Amino acid sequence: MKNREIVLKLAWRNVWRNKRRTILTLLTIIVGCSVILFQNAVAKGGHDRMIEDAAATNTGHIQIHEKGYWDNRTIDYAFQPENKLINALKNDERISGYTLRVHAEGLLSFKNSTAGTMIQGVDPVTEKSVSNLHSKILKGGRYLLPGDRNSIIMGMTLAKNIGANVGDTISMISQGFDGSIAAERLTVVGLFNAGNQEYDQGMIIMPISQAEETFSMMGYIHSIALRLRSSSDTGVVRGNIKKHIDNKIIEVLGWEELMPEMVQFIVMDDVNAYIFDFILFMIVAFGILNTIHMSIFERMREFGIMLSIGTAPRQVMGMVLCESLIITILGIIGGLGLGYAVCYYFYVNPLDFSGYANEMAVLSINMLVVPADASMLNGIVTAMVTLILCLLFSVFPARKAAKLNPIDAIRHL
Amino acid sequence: MQISIKNLYKNYQLNGLEVPAIRGIDLTIKKGEFSAIAGPSGSGKTTLLNIIGGLDRPTAGEIRVGNDDLNKLNQKELSDLRLHRIGFIFQAYNLIPVLTALENVEYVLLLQGVLKEERTTRSTRILEEVGLGEYINRFPKELSGGQQQRVAVARAIVSEPEIILADEPTANLDQKTGALLLDLMHDLNHKKNITFLFSTHDQMVMEKARRLVYLTDGTSNSDTFRGHGHFKDNKIKKKSKKKSN
Repeated sequence: MKNREIVLKLAWRNVWRNKRRTILTLLTIIVGCSVILFQNAVAKGGHDRMIEDAAATNTGHIQIHEKGYWDNRTIDYAFQPENKLINALKNDERISGYTLRVHAEGLLSFKNSTAGTMIQGVDPVTEKSVSNLHSKILKGGRYLLPGDRNSIIMGMTLAKNIGANVGDTISMISQGFDGSIAAERLTVVGLFNAGNQEYDQGMIIMPISQAEETFSMMGYIHSIALRLRSSSDTGVVRGNIKKHIDNKIIEVLGWEELMPEMVQFIVMDDVNAYIFDFILFMIVAFGILNTIHMSIFERMREFGIMLSIGTAPRQVMGMVLCESLIITILGIIGGLGLGYAVCYYFYVNPLDFSGYANEMAVLSINMLVVPADASMLNGIVTAMVTLILCLLFSVFPARKAAKLNPIDAIRHL
Repeated sequence: MQISIKNLYKNYQLNGLEVPAIRGIDLTIKKGEFSAIAGPSGSGKTTLLNIIGGLDRPTAGEIRVGNDDLNKLNQKELSDLRLHRIGFIFQAYNLIPVLTALENVEYVLLLQGVLKEERTTRSTRILEEVGLGEYINRFPKELSGGQQQRVAVARAIVSEPEIILADEPTANLDQKTGALLLDLMHDLNHKKNITFLFSTHDQMVMEKARRLVYLTDGTSNSDTFRGHGHFKDNKIKKKSKKKSN
């Protein structure tokens, strides 16, 4: 391939013949690539933050229940975790924390108000390694402490709805694990603002020791919630846990199953992003098509001369493809450079939507601070798709140039 | 090596009609000729040149370049024929604009696979011969029309083809520059025994050619030979070293 050098040289010089056109085309690719990179980075950053926020607030990345609990969510589906399972959780480096919980539903009553509630019994110490609710206690209250008995914390909206406040004692009535009536007087020690309507409007949290007693759990619990160091380990850790349990009796669910509405939201959001990406990719590809097409149209006679003096058609085609390749690669380099730079800025200074918290809450969107997380993969995919599309869109004009009839081409001025 | 054309016909399709461009031409061009094909517009000059150069195919008749029957060559073989055995000079804008004079000349050698050192030496020498020694690193747009045509001549002869086909090479030049270019080609013909075949409207080219084939309506109606002695060699040398306009 001794002619590669001249093909490259010709292509390079041809690219810079019409500087303005080349620069405009480059700008199209640069802006296109960087916008695609940025928007995918914001989407990924947003989704990751959403998953993390949701997992951190209360759900965790993985939950272990008796089989059937998650579908029915009644007090009857409880289990006693075996030591084997607990040891496996303790020994897995990827798990940053786990906590045992008791769940129930009941009726709260304070003065003349009553409200339905979700009751969660937690260990005040281990709970902090899974949930960050302890950091969301409103001023004037406190989180649960070891040794607390009848103390509860409750969602701020729920408290407002029944008119309760820190220090008030409220009545709770529910059903115990053994079928008995569970009734208790509980003192509110703190209110939380979880940023999640479901929790804020309907949840109370009590010490698990009290919950065991109130609901006659007899050593049974409803769930173990796990927090992982990285949400991407969910599948592996889940698989590992399954080896230590009787899968006929116990279920292990990842965050995708625990929060299917979030997965749906992400899928929908991704589809929107793909449509946007597609449009941008098309703009970029048509930009290249237009440029190459124009440059060929202007150079018909030149191609005619080249073909007449013995240039092989495939060399002409190679040259045109090379021109497109040069512009595309320069554009991609510029686009990724700009894209990553913008992403880095918005990674360090995340997009802040907290001013729109109320509007977002209506849409059940809890992510208020979104960092742009541009992964390597994002850049590679953007670059490859741009490259392939631009080359595909150049093949047609390049073939046209190669297939020119020299006589007609020379007459063309 | 010679070019022989027997009973050549070429028809074009124009709006569904067969339009004859060449109607039965017989012609033999021998090694070392300096010949011109003249005739009014539409008489088939360029078509004939294109067919000889393998750029176009005849409707009927035989055309041989050396031992090769062009009718039997495929597109790739025709492309190779043009690369190795035929030199082309067109009216104007002959050169690849993004290559310098030297690179334009080298281009053909490069396509032929000649090694770099030899390429540069040969191309530089040829450019010096056509009087452009000082301009080898200029781009076409930095050269005058006459100088550009000289580069085209240099490119056509650098690979030592068997024949050079020049389609109205002086048409875009002024009288004086045209004359200088013609002198240069005549000189090359004389010294290197390179065969030139022109198509032309230009009275001066017709006068200086040693053989004039006159075409009308796609047939040859006269074929005149003239002797040497038309040019004075000393005078040509001087002129060819001067810058043309």
